[in-house]
Amino acid sequence: MISQEVEFMKDISKSIYKTDSEDKISGQAKYVADIKIDGMLHAVTLRSTIACGEIKNIKIPELPEGYHTVSSKDVQGKNVVKIIFDDMPVFTEKKITYLHEPIMFVVGPDKGKVMDILSEIVVEYIVEEPVFEWKNSAINYHFEKGEGLKVFSKAERVISYDYETGYQEQAYMEPQGFVGYLDGEKVTLYGSIQCPYYVKNAVIQALGVADDKVRVIQPTVGGAFGGKEEFPSLMACQLAVAIKKIKKPIQLLYEREEDMLVTTKRHPSRIHFEVAIDKNNEILGFKTHADIDAGANIGLSGVVLSRALIACTGAYTIDNLDISGDVFLTNTVPNGAFRGFGAPQMFFAIEMFMEHIANELGLDSLEFRLKYLAKQGDKTSTNGIFRDPIIMDEMIVKGMEISDYKNKRKLYESPESNRGIGMSFFFHGCGFTGSGEAKIIKARVKLKKDKSGDVYILVAAVDMGQGIRTTLRKVVAQILEIPIERVIFNFPDTDFVPDSGPTVASRTMMIVGGLISRASKEMKKRWGETEFIVEKQYVQPDYIKYDDDTFQGDAYPAYSWGVNVVEVEVDKDTYQVKLLNTWSVYDVGKSIDDRIVYGQADGGLIQGIAYGYLEVMNHEKGVIKQKNMTDYIIPTAKDTGNMETVIYENPYAFGPYGAKGVGELTLIGGAPAVAFAIEDAIKRKVFKIPATPEYIMELMKNDKN
Amino acid sequence: MVKTSIPKNLAEALSVLSKEKYRLVAGGTDMLVQNRNRATLPIKYKDNVMYIANLEELFGITEDEETIYIGACEPLEAILENDLTPKLLKETILEMASPAIRHTGTLGGNIGNASPAGDSLVPLYLLNAVIEVKSETETRRLRIQDFIQGVRKIDLADNELITKIIISKTEFTKAYFKKVGPRLSDAISKLSFAGAITFDNDIILDLRFAFGAVNITVVRRPEIECLYIRKTKEELKASVNEIVEAYSKFIRPIDDQRSNKEYRKKVSINLLKSFIEEL
Amino acid sequence: MTKIKFRLNGKPVAIETDVNRRLLDVLREDFELIGPKEGCGEGECGACAVLMEHEIVNSCSVPLANCIGKDIVTIEGLSTTSRYTVIRKAFEDEGAVQCGFCTPGMIIATESMLSKNPHPTDEEIKIGLSGNLCRCTGYNMIIKAIKKAAKDGDGLW
Repeated sequence: MISQEVEFMKDISKSIYKTDSEDKISGQAKYVADIKIDGMLHAVTLRSTIACGEIKNIKIPELPEGYHTVSSKDVQGKNVVKIIFDDMPVFTEKKITYLHEPIMFVVGPDKGKVMDILSEIVVEYIVEEPVFEWKNSAINYHFEKGEGLKVFSKAERVISYDYETGYQEQAYMEPQGFVGYLDGEKVTLYGSIQCPYYVKNAVIQALGVADDKVRVIQPTVGGAFGGKEEFPSLMACQLAVAIKKIKKPIQLLYEREEDMLVTTKRHPSRIHFEVAIDKNNEILGFKTHADIDAGANIGLSGVVLSRALIACTGAYTIDNLDISGDVFLTNTVPNGAFRGFGAPQMFFAIEMFMEHIANELGLDSLEFRLKYLAKQGDKTSTNGIFRDPIIMDEMIVKGMEISDYKNKRKLYESPESNRGIGMSFFFHGCGFTGSGEAKIIKARVKLKKDKSGDVYILVAAVDMGQGIRTTLRKVVAQILEIPIERVIFNFPDTDFVPDSGPTVASRTMMIVGGLISRASKEMKKRWGETEFIVEKQYVQPDYIKYDDDTFQGDAYPAYSWGVNVVEVEVDKDTYQVKLLNTWSVYDVGKSIDDRIVYGQADGGLIQGIAYGYLEVMNHEKGVIKQKNMTDYIIPTAKDTGNMETVIYENPYAFGPYGAKGVGELTLIGGAPAVAFAIEDAIKRKVFKIPATPEYIMELMKNDKN
Repeated sequence: MVKTSIPKNLAEALSVLSKEKYRLVAGGTDMLVQNRNRATLPIKYKDNVMYIANLEELFGITEDEETIYIGACEPLEAILENDLTPKLLKETILEMASPAIRHTGTLGGNIGNASPAGDSLVPLYLLNAVIEVKSETETRRLRIQDFIQGVRKIDLADNELITKIIISKTEFTKAYFKKVGPRLSDAISKLSFAGAITFDNDIILDLRFAFGAVNITVVRRPEIECLYIRKTKEELKASVNEIVEAYSKFIRPIDDQRSNKEYRKKVSINLLKSFIEEL
Repeated sequence: MTKIKFRLNGKPVAIETDVNRRLLDVLREDFELIGPKEGCGEGECGACAVLMEHEIVNSCSVPLANCIGKDIVTIEGLSTTSRYTVIRKAFEDEGAVQCGFCTPGMIIATESMLSKNPHPTDEEIKIGLSGNLCRCTGYNMIIKAIKKAAKDGDGLW
């Protein structure tokens, strides 16, 4: 490791080399597919070939010695994957609810033979009519703020628009996978995951065993973005059942096509907005309704919808609201977590809506949006309060300055111009929505000092590229005033680390880091002791009160804010969008490492922008049509333009060094910003993302704005 | 039992082919993906396979006074870097795939694959490329439009392989290739367009258009082009709607996971129109 | 089964196996190298990239049969060179590594492009990287890293 002369930094934001760069650059970092265990068997999944129905009969050929099938009847515990609802089986027994639903494993030493056996298995189905229309609502939410719908009776006029967002596939570079073995009676699993304890608890339920009979270890993870939040629990349960049955080490690796076809994606959404306008062209209130497609089971969809609905006023304060939403079940691949978790869908809709209202009223849209920008002390959509300072005005001024926004808007007004520039305002609620952190997770961390004076961070947080193996160590090193080389953060292993909660919801630095920070402070006081462990558990600050059922109160303890400016050129012949430049300004409280935050900013923005114009995934009768990296288009280096990011400091009292969440914020604003830029270039309204060339071609048939 | 052959030279290759049918693999960038198996398992070929990428006789780019000869297994990136390569073909290759694929992909492979979305085929049709194929006993040369007969259908006998791509040296006043893919690189085309024109004092001496991925093979209609030879640039511009209508019936794209027929058709027409209008 | 001889990471090697295997699998299974990775299996993502005759190729799309007599270098071999030291430092200086799955491929792409063009423009760097997908970084810091490597390693390429 390159040694660093960093004893303690005057300013923690100052970048240092990431601890794991060297291994990754040299190709030595071990991902799950790199782990080979002697005598390892291979498991491949047999999946349904229909979208809806029942299994009538399965004909399995005679299996050679050493080859097995594993199915629902082998599940030693409960045949349900522990997520929230009991609607996802480990292996389906009979019912088929989506194409490629897992039915069983074929396991054996030679993968070619396993594939042969798989192809010889004959499944007879009773086919039922699948439902692809969004008509079966599994969850409905509704809440109000202020006078709710009543303001609509006072309205001078009502403006209404509908917006639509598509699937987005996480497309992490490392496909999903696990490898595991039996250690005595203990099932040990290595997996490409975000949440070791989600996996452990799910496996415990599937096997029906005690806590000490399951061990989950994280190897290097090649990207996740939410796609490895809950989905891996399904794979882990299946694999654990197989390992317990066959009593041999087994590897379960998805290849890209399988991964794209069967793992969770961002929920497609349809969002309806209505605004009541008074005679002074001011907003009285909104009525918003959001529908999302959960796919074949609910999973986390209720939480995704919650976050989306809470975000329904975007970066603005609107006094009167009637907000509702539905989670629909369809016979398609179940959808799940993806960076932003409902917010990207809603921020696209609300940003476009504010712009479209202004257009309708003949008002300058920037002035209009600035007028309603949220301020410190304002009530949130759920009657919580924005307690902490909001510095969006400064950030917007900065964003406009570095991008030369106003001049470019003027320049691009010309009908000959095929360029456009757009600016989005957004926030991200950091941490779990509502009371999850306090009531369900109750995160625990441990900090251990050993005889040699090394300090071990013992948490279940997963570094999937966002750099927590560096940033959490910085926090400890800074507080304890010891060289960072003496702070050790090994890969989480549930045998050694407490449940600090899942690596999701932009909570790791703020919550887990916050606990680590408190633990470090205590350790500092006790530093004289030779060897000891400090343990801390999450305690919700008193003032955060939220009722999950009525959606009332402070949904989040803190908010990070952002401004994205995107400049594009739209080809007049091909309608293709070329990204020219982007400028971003972020308030993440305090950056624990500037370069790491810039990296998250770049990556998140490109994902957000691509969500807005490039990434197309659709299904036809339940069949995902873009199922490999050839057909699912994500940006290459050639698709990027110049990127500039500015980080503002606005410390949050309860985050370590003032840090709030970063991970998801940087994806939220990209889609509306690029959609605005496209609108500016083509002088037509955009209602749907991805705003593909095909869609732009259709829009060009409309009248100009 | 599937046989594998790795001939050491062209003569050996042709001798083996004279006795039995073999599927030919050059760089492998198409073949290995099309015949993919599960990771770690050998590629699943249904027939015999012959690897021809290392046959020296199939490399190199040479010229004589009027013609350029490109070896069928010369890698695309090498063709891109060679001074002898026509500019239009260079521009096309630069838009294709990625450096890694260009280092092993070959023109012979692209032509043999005869995909309707094959980018390199478009400039080859426009340049009136001739494909040379050899068997143990015979050498044949066919125009590319005769060699490629349909989707993945070529006039290649079981005992033959593609040896050279032959292009007459041509200088155009203006030649242009536009690939329209879902992103700016490393993607299969939704459609592509090539246009070339030569004029002298405003009189058109040569006019060529080719469209890719909008029909089962590249669309090249010399009978439309020749109507405008010896006309003036202005007359050509004035006839743009006529030309568009003439090509319209040959531009017959499909809907698929990448795009739809309306887009492919409209954009092909847009590109054709712009090429003419911007002369 | 055929005996295939080639050079791997600077050493002559020989292997007797099915020539229809992908180079990627031979490298990972038979030579136990983990640098080249399976990201997509179809030559799209570049995670499997290695140098063949000092040019970047996707080892998932190269049949072993085409490797006879060729010089193959994986990240493991490249990482012993002084050029690599410059590239590595530049990637670290610029924060160009996040999850790391694309990184070995990016390093291979860097070496391949700088060997042909020691001082590429931004546009040329993007072309050189166009076959290597990254989902974490948005490419910005990788492009900066390559520029820095070209500058700091002036004379090495």
